[in-house]
Amino acid sequence: MLRLIAVRLAVFVPTLFAASIVLFITINVVPGSAAKAALGIDATPQAIARFEALNGLDRPLHVQYFDWLGKALSGDFGKSFQNHVPVGPEVARRLPVTLELALFAFLIANIIAVPLGAIAAFYHQRKTDTAITLLATIFGAIPNFWLATLLILVFALTLRWLPAGGYAALIDRPIVNLKQMVMPAVSLGVVSSALLLRIMRTSMIEVLTSDYIRTAFAKGATRGIVIWRHAIRNALIPYLTVGAVEFGFLFGGVVIIEDIFLLPGIGSLVLVGIINRDYPVLLAAALVVTVVVLTANMLVDIVASLLDPRQVRAKRAI
Amino acid sequence: MISAAVGSAGHRRRINWRRWRLLAIGGFLVAIVVFCAVFANFVAPYSPYDLDVASMLQGPSAAHWLGTDEVGRDELSRAIFAARISVEVALVAVGVGLIGGTIIGIFAAYFGGWIDLALMRLMELLFSFPAILLAVILMASLGTSILNAMLSIGIIFIPGFSRLARAATNDVLRQQYIDAARTIGMGDARIMMREILPNVVTPLLVEAAVAFAYAVLLESALSFLGLGAQPPEPSWGNMLNTGRGFMGQAPWLGIVPGMAMFLCVLGFNLLGDGLRDAFDPHLRE
Amino acid sequence: MVRTHRRKDRPPSLAIDRLRVEIATRRGLARVIDDVSLEVWPGEIVGVIGESGSGKTMTALSLLGLMPRRAKIAAGEIKLGGEVITHLPDAARRRLRGSRVAFIPQDALRALNPVLRVDLQVGEPANIHRQTPWDQAKARAVELLRAVHLKDPEQRAREYPHQFSGGMQQRAMIAMGLALEPELLIADEPTTALDVTVQAQVLKLLREIRDSHGTAILFITHDLGVIAELCDWVYVMYAGAVLEQGPVERLFAHPAHPYTQMLLRATPTVRTVQSELLSIPGQIPQPFELPAGCRFADRCPHRFEHCASEPPHLQVEAEHTARCWLLTESITAATAVAAS
Repeated sequence: MLRLIAVRLAVFVPTLFAASIVLFITINVVPGSAAKAALGIDATPQAIARFEALNGLDRPLHVQYFDWLGKALSGDFGKSFQNHVPVGPEVARRLPVTLELALFAFLIANIIAVPLGAIAAFYHQRKTDTAITLLATIFGAIPNFWLATLLILVFALTLRWLPAGGYAALIDRPIVNLKQMVMPAVSLGVVSSALLLRIMRTSMIEVLTSDYIRTAFAKGATRGIVIWRHAIRNALIPYLTVGAVEFGFLFGGVVIIEDIFLLPGIGSLVLVGIINRDYPVLLAAALVVTVVVLTANMLVDIVASLLDPRQVRAKRAI
Repeated sequence: MISAAVGSAGHRRRINWRRWRLLAIGGFLVAIVVFCAVFANFVAPYSPYDLDVASMLQGPSAAHWLGTDEVGRDELSRAIFAARISVEVALVAVGVGLIGGTIIGIFAAYFGGWIDLALMRLMELLFSFPAILLAVILMASLGTSILNAMLSIGIIFIPGFSRLARAATNDVLRQQYIDAARTIGMGDARIMMREILPNVVTPLLVEAAVAFAYAVLLESALSFLGLGAQPPEPSWGNMLNTGRGFMGQAPWLGIVPGMAMFLCVLGFNLLGDGLRDAFDPHLRE
Repeated sequence: MVRTHRRKDRPPSLAIDRLRVEIATRRGLARVIDDVSLEVWPGEIVGVIGESGSGKTMTALSLLGLMPRRAKIAAGEIKLGGEVITHLPDAARRRLRGSRVAFIPQDALRALNPVLRVDLQVGEPANIHRQTPWDQAKARAVELLRAVHLKDPEQRAREYPHQFSGGMQQRAMIAMGLALEPELLIADEPTTALDVTVQAQVLKLLREIRDSHGTAILFITHDLGVIAELCDWVYVMYAGAVLEQGPVERLFAHPAHPYTQMLLRATPTVRTVQSELLSIPGQIPQPFELPAGCRFADRCPHRFEHCASEPPHLQVEAEHTARCWLLTESITAATAVAAS
């Protein structure tokens, strides 16, 4: 089992570095833009040159990268171009907000997807399956920012049950926090559930054609026992592996959702970085998002392997 | 009888009425969107730019079927013209992704070895980034414009298409006729164009339909954030964004653009799913 | 020779009477089981032999209620221990499965759930049908594994199926089947995937079960050797119908039906016979286009004009019967001994 985890980690670390390189290149792909953005479009060439020299932007890209990397590994993400505030602490402050949102949304997505997907698979090719699949298709076509808008219209503006935005920390005021998180999490979760539902359904259909399911029926197991004891564990293994990708999509969605609901998370920090052309901020925020997504993928992968006794215990050779 | 799980022999390629119905609905929705995009000038009752501040924020009426926005422009006309932007961007983006992805995929599968490994690792890496994040960052570095939106979204699609093209190419390579072509002296480029390409086209086109839907979604997201089409150009995304601010007084401004997005994406998804079921023999349900 | 296990005081454990099962397919109504009658008495081991597609597995599935959704029992009756179960509602049928009738499938590895512990799987029938709490059910599972001669059952019970060898897996399946001491055990080619020594052990185990519990066993196979060794009675199936049936020794010594003769003439398994049969002109009739006459006529070397109509079961001797018009003539070359 330890070997399993170690292998995953060994792949994870280089991937992380590669991702940081890609981000760095992407952001710095257009020369001079950082300076122009900070100083204004009609900044003089001298002003630009001075700015770049000051911030080390005139050095070759790989030098910049390693310098940034070195500092980043020790927690120093530089200072914002805009207001010269250190980026690191800001990121640290915002991360819990985003994590709470993402986990809440992911939970909602799975609560919808797993049971419905399992039921759809069990009633494959019958009305229930068609209905559930149609529902999944509809959910998947809804833009999450539109759903957010509609939810605000109904629950915040009309019914006044939930706040339209803002954030209070979970530790400070849990009830308020949850009320604030409901709509954002639902917006993200419902849309993500569509793809997850399909994956679960496909995985379950595959499992339900297995011989051991027939054995379970032959023992007199009820529908419920077959689905929940015999089938689901087996279906979860490929589901988690494939579904881990969806977490990435979901996490990408926080960029928009945090903006709509005025949540001070990493997503809105990315936007701030973009709108202000504040590259250190953008780089740091984007990197954190990527790290979280890659970590989540790895963790889910590990969990999926642990669910499978064939991977955890060696085969006995008798 | 409890035998749903005991697999049944007998029904291969049964015409599933429900699925054809869905395909038809999808096709219908897509047709409407494309029609609006192409013939916007003829279909829209007003120009999308005509201000008429006197009649701002009016609800749906006989004169304005879907109401007016905050400066009195006809919401319906704007929605129709916005279809044009979405379709244009999606078309180019999918095109970029398709071409780029196909080339990379075919190359990787054809040459194999470390080229394959390197290319596919790169593609996997790109694929693991959340799409919106990448799009947003690309737009930030390239500058916000419709062209850059097309490019950014296109780049995001490349890994997905490359994976598909590579798999399809590998299937083709397993066949005998590639070796036959080589023995008669066909060059690599020739082989890739004449033998491989025609055979990998079908699954790619099917995937393109689904990608189209996603492209519309991404474009809307970008313009919602202010990174895509700039006002006064109407895009469903920026219409929704401005509409958000007037939700209290004019809720239809928040509903209409989103509904348009939803129907467009739904249409392409249904179409894509339908095509996938029709063409892929492995997906016998 | 009369059926030795037949009893006057008890009904047969299994009685299938003129069963017909049809599946609606795109190409028409497929009659996969056609007028099949079959009995298994308590303590009897009955073999059913036939090629793939002969309907032997479907017969088992029909009485368990595990047929594919599109399959329907169109005619006939199935009785378990004298009770009619043909059209039992789902819930009642479910209560029979695993408790009064147990099913042992072919590929034990695939028939065991890879993510669940063996003791859970073997103890499950008790938990389902008798509401036995899990700790007791799992303890009972250990005893069951011991009863099927699994070494070190306490340790084994806590393991997972992939950690067992093929023979051990099959024993675990048998233990699962025996859990609630069923009246009837259906074994569907349980030894096909095993090597010869393991096969012998499994057969010995089945015989022990019959001897100690008086369980009726329906043994489905395509291996003549196994039938000869294990079974008391045998039914020969072809294209959904029983062509010949009778006591094993008698049938093997004096096969009446040309098909049975062909089976016995070849080397032990039906697989080799299949390839031999393939070289004979004609084909096994498809279930949706069954011929009006004898279904074997197409490939029968002895066919004559009578074969244009389907023969009923005609007596060869005492309770040994076969569906062949040749029996209406006096002793012919067809019933001459086909020396092994």
